[in-house]
Amino acid sequence: MVTLLRGTLRPLHVPLRAASQGTGLLYPEHIPTSLLQKVLLTAGSAGMALYNPYRHDMVAVLGETTGCRALRVLRDQMKRDPEGAQILQERPRISLSTLDLDKLQSLPEGSLGREYLRFLDVNRVSPDTRAPTRFVDDEELAYVIQRYREVHDMLHTLLGMPTNILGEIVVKWFEAVQTGLPMCILGALFGPIRLSAQHLQVLVSELVPWAVQNGRRAPCVLNLYYERRWEQPLKALREELGITDPPMHIKA
Amino acid sequence: MAAPRSCALWGYCGRGWSRVMRGCRLPGLRSSWPGSPLGARLLSQEKRATETHFGFETVSEEEKGGKASPDSTFCLDPMEMIHEDPPQFYQVFESVAKKYDVMNDMMSLGIHRVWKDLLLWRMHPFPGTQLLDVAGGTGDIAFRFLNYIQAQHQRKQKRQLRTQQNLSWEEIAQKYQNEEDSLNGSHVVVCDINKEMLKIGRKKACAQGYKTGKSYRKNLQLGLAWVLGDAEELPFDDDKFDVYTIAFGIRNVTHIDRALQEAHRVLKPGGRFLCLEFSQVTNPLVSRLYDLYSFQVIPVMGEVIAKDWKSYQYLVESIRQFPAQEEFKEMIEDAGFQKVTYESLTSGIVAIHSGFKL
Repeated sequence: MVTLLRGTLRPLHVPLRAASQGTGLLYPEHIPTSLLQKVLLTAGSAGMALYNPYRHDMVAVLGETTGCRALRVLRDQMKRDPEGAQILQERPRISLSTLDLDKLQSLPEGSLGREYLRFLDVNRVSPDTRAPTRFVDDEELAYVIQRYREVHDMLHTLLGMPTNILGEIVVKWFEAVQTGLPMCILGALFGPIRLSAQHLQVLVSELVPWAVQNGRRAPCVLNLYYERRWEQPLKALREELGITDPPMHIKA
Repeated sequence: MAAPRSCALWGYCGRGWSRVMRGCRLPGLRSSWPGSPLGARLLSQEKRATETHFGFETVSEEEKGGKASPDSTFCLDPMEMIHEDPPQFYQVFESVAKKYDVMNDMMSLGIHRVWKDLLLWRMHPFPGTQLLDVAGGTGDIAFRFLNYIQAQHQRKQKRQLRTQQNLSWEEIAQKYQNEEDSLNGSHVVVCDINKEMLKIGRKKACAQGYKTGKSYRKNLQLGLAWVLGDAEELPFDDDKFDVYTIAFGIRNVTHIDRALQEAHRVLKPGGRFLCLEFSQVTNPLVSRLYDLYSFQVIPVMGEVIAKDWKSYQYLVESIRQFPAQEEFKEMIEDAGFQKVTYESLTSGIVAIHSGFKL
């Protein structure tokens, strides 16, 4: 019985428990990490993403641990743009709970909302599969990267790319030029490793130059308040951004 | 769906008697739970029933196809009865079950195999030993135990053959035909609170060629049985086992003293309690490196390999909260064990505690 008493009175000298519960959290899903942990996470997630391409969460983690500088640049750019500043202030989220699917369905053909819905259906994806940000140590930057992830599907719609590996690589090239996130750059460079020679040839000769050109020409896509542009015809939006049609149609 | 069938089952099993009262619509009795004198009488009936009932049905896989049989073979889900709210570690182990073995190898760099082998060597079982391995979900200790006994049996056979040089052909043929029971009465019961862990253990057993039977008794004959149960309230009668082991499980138990008392209860007089668990490191340099490795590397590994940072963060924290070697020794003595000793391995990262019920 003495040992029981001693057990309850023994001081808890667990260092990291406090940090991971309540105090020190900048946002609900935040996991504070040291520099060493970030380095290990970067290496581990990059390796795992290459080893198992279905681990999308690893790509996301890689983005979070390496994106410090690029996210800051992006955030400052958003602040300078009026629409972007509004997004930073209002913090809209794209998920099944915030989207009004019926309203989107009722929109005319060719509008952004309708095409986005079609994209979700054809590729059988849902906006809810994005993991929340965990390893970014700044609350606003955490939102920026979350917004980037949620806008990713929009980019697919804008560029007319499906969600197969080829389509994803093209979108990654576009994003790499637009955002400068190291994860996008790494994904764009290393993603093609698993492609067949034929796909690789098409990618290098036509798709990548097209994506890079459009990426440089278009203003920052994170500055668009998509939730207010559902009725805008997709063609008009593409013209506004300077995005031309893809050089070839890629089947889903 | 479950109610009428499970009513019958739970009525059959002693410990589930209280559940019958809560779940079934037995007229008259239901309204009297829990506070009335009738309720009190039911409580005592429950106690008597556990003392007479042998044990619980195990989950038995269909031998062909490996499809899990329906849960009707489970008498009782201890999670439902014991905890309103499953403790955190239960959810942790549900999510880590599939990757448990891989993560163990990665985190300990394979050293956990050596630790478990050492546990078996300290145990030094012989044919006829009846082992209860608690919190042994994926069966590491159980398989080692069976291998150890079979190896002993093989060595014994070899020795016998060597001494008998002048056997007739008939006798030699007979020796090969006699499929002697290599276990000779020993068996191991693996008890774990988590169904997922047991499922993985059973799959491994099938893969290694261990046969499974349809009932608990049959499984004991075959040498290996899997039981769902809580270390704080074991579904076994008193004085049943020769050795009780718990490897890397006792730190997850909410009330360690209760688990120790249960261990004392189910062991036969002369039985041995063995516990392999993380403990406190004595060497300061090793301690610093170990802390660094635990807190910096292990959650990252958990995230990358098992997609689960939080469970592995919990793991390293629970290791720090576990009492040191001496303190745990005293807890074991409090539960009634004698001749309690411990042996630190790898500078105290783990320790094997041993005690006897005399």
